[in-house]
Amino acid sequence: MNGQLIISAIVLGLSMSGVYFLLTVGLSLCYGLMRMISLDQFLYYALGAYMVYTITAATGSFWLGALGAMLTTLIVAFAVERLINKRVYSKPVMFSMILTFGVNLMGVGLIKYIWGLTPKPVASPIGGSLHILGTSVPGYRLFVILLAVAVYIAVQYFLNKTILGTAIRAGIDDAEKVEALGINISRLFTVTFILSSVLSALAGVIHAPFVMVSPEMGMSITAFAFMVVIIGGLGSIKGTMVSALIVGQVVSLGAVIWAPLAEMAPFLVMMIILLIKPTGLYGSKLMSR
Amino acid sequence: MKRFVNSWTGIFIVFILLYLLKGLLPMAFLTEVVIFSIYAMGCSFLIGRLGLTSFGQPAFLAFGAYGAGIYLYYFGTNSYVAILVGVLASLVINMIVGTFLVRLNSSYFTLCNQAFCVVTFFIFQKALVKWTFGDNGLLLISRMDPTPVIDLTSSKGIYLFSFIVAILVWLFFNYLMKKSVFGATCLCVKDNEEKLRFLGYKTFNIKWLAFVIANTVAGLAGAIYTVYFCMVNANIASVSSASEAVAISMLGGAGTLFGPLVGSFLFIGLKDIVSQFISHWEVLVGFLLIIVMLAGEKGIVGSLETYLEKRKARKKPVATGVV
Repeated sequence: MNGQLIISAIVLGLSMSGVYFLLTVGLSLCYGLMRMISLDQFLYYALGAYMVYTITAATGSFWLGALGAMLTTLIVAFAVERLINKRVYSKPVMFSMILTFGVNLMGVGLIKYIWGLTPKPVASPIGGSLHILGTSVPGYRLFVILLAVAVYIAVQYFLNKTILGTAIRAGIDDAEKVEALGINISRLFTVTFILSSVLSALAGVIHAPFVMVSPEMGMSITAFAFMVVIIGGLGSIKGTMVSALIVGQVVSLGAVIWAPLAEMAPFLVMMIILLIKPTGLYGSKLMSR
Repeated sequence: MKRFVNSWTGIFIVFILLYLLKGLLPMAFLTEVVIFSIYAMGCSFLIGRLGLTSFGQPAFLAFGAYGAGIYLYYFGTNSYVAILVGVLASLVINMIVGTFLVRLNSSYFTLCNQAFCVVTFFIFQKALVKWTFGDNGLLLISRMDPTPVIDLTSSKGIYLFSFIVAILVWLFFNYLMKKSVFGATCLCVKDNEEKLRFLGYKTFNIKWLAFVIANTVAGLAGAIYTVYFCMVNANIASVSSASEAVAISMLGGAGTLFGPLVGSFLFIGLKDIVSQFISHWEVLVGFLLIIVMLAGEKGIVGSLETYLEKRKARKKPVATGVV
């Protein structure tokens, strides 16, 4: 095993962490505020990837595709939230889980119907590579890492420094009191849900050049996303970031050692962490409801 | 005593109905329905009586299926023993896995369960590929000897056998849900776990036992599945089929005795019919799940039960057939 292999594995792991973080921050926000496990985030992830494929193929510009994908997801997520999801916010978490799973399944079926079953390639928008310690690293991977860091800072800024973010954080602590203060919590829910979905779509967009875009891509990333959420603790943004870093490294370094380990090692890590702390690394007692 | 008779009548009526349907519908379809109803029974019990949503059910199906498959491929030729081995294998694995999973609260349980399902899929598909042959699977078609009493290698025999097993499973769950103290404590766990703990019950033990029972039944279905199809491959544990068990339970009514049967009858029937017109049946399943969840969680049998109970309360009781 040589140094170059390990360095490129670490960079790959960091870029995977970026994708996982963007995908799971939505799940975490939804659970934190609305106490729902929104499995339809995986649909927005796949939708984002497919939209970027379609628009890139039509116009030739990846960035236009990214914008279009996020806008489409915004509209779809708004419709889903208003029509379906808002009806189960007051019910136990089981309802939202099965319901959003249904939405996800239906969406995957529609994607298969529209785009067909064959996997689609998306070209990487940033060519070229950088040399780090004698190892050539693709520029796009570094871009993904930087983007994830930027999104993390932006989300933290949004939650901590803006009025809307403060209201959302207050809603996470005590939804009833926030409502009593005269804030329209239902609108807050919508905003959070759309924000989460757009971030999931962004995850799909930036993941598309790494993998082939296929209808089952949402299903196949589900397990990793869940592991990230569980290790970090449901509802915690910081925990999500830390556990995305852990899982990304475990996946890519595990694959260097023995290929099947990539899929199983994160699960073992998750089980060990849950044995020590049943609410995940940063999940508080409050979140364990 | 009266409820006992009633439940027996219910099972008897269902038996007659299924026997009559045998003339009208293809046997392969009915066999699949019966096996799926056994499979969904555990999931339905977990959702309806314990409040644990299990999206990882295919994993537990796969343990039974691979237990039976590996026995038949490497060790013996007797299908009865194969099913027994499958059940025992899934029992042992469930007892170990249960200790980890059941400690978690319900949201974490669901997520971990689905993650576990994916890991199981990879174990059978990639890690153990030397023994399980991954996606190609174990082909058992020439490895099964005809068995005495009920010939499990013939399609008629396997129908009869799965039918008898289904009836035994119904009787068992009927006892569990309606008459045993254990079933009542399970419902308490769903409603108010903290209070139950306050009263001095060890909720971990209750949940663990329920988990093991429910998933071993799924393993039993898996073992029969293997013997029925004469093959088993890694696809049996794939996550995309995780929706099936949940959809069947919700459709029929979670926590009811005949919910899984009605649910799987509808589900497999619709799937067969729809896939002739459009190839993507996910749309339909997703749509049904949304409808069932928005209409309330009761499902078909659950709604029927409430209706019958209401009628019973208004009029003087006439012995109602279906429980």
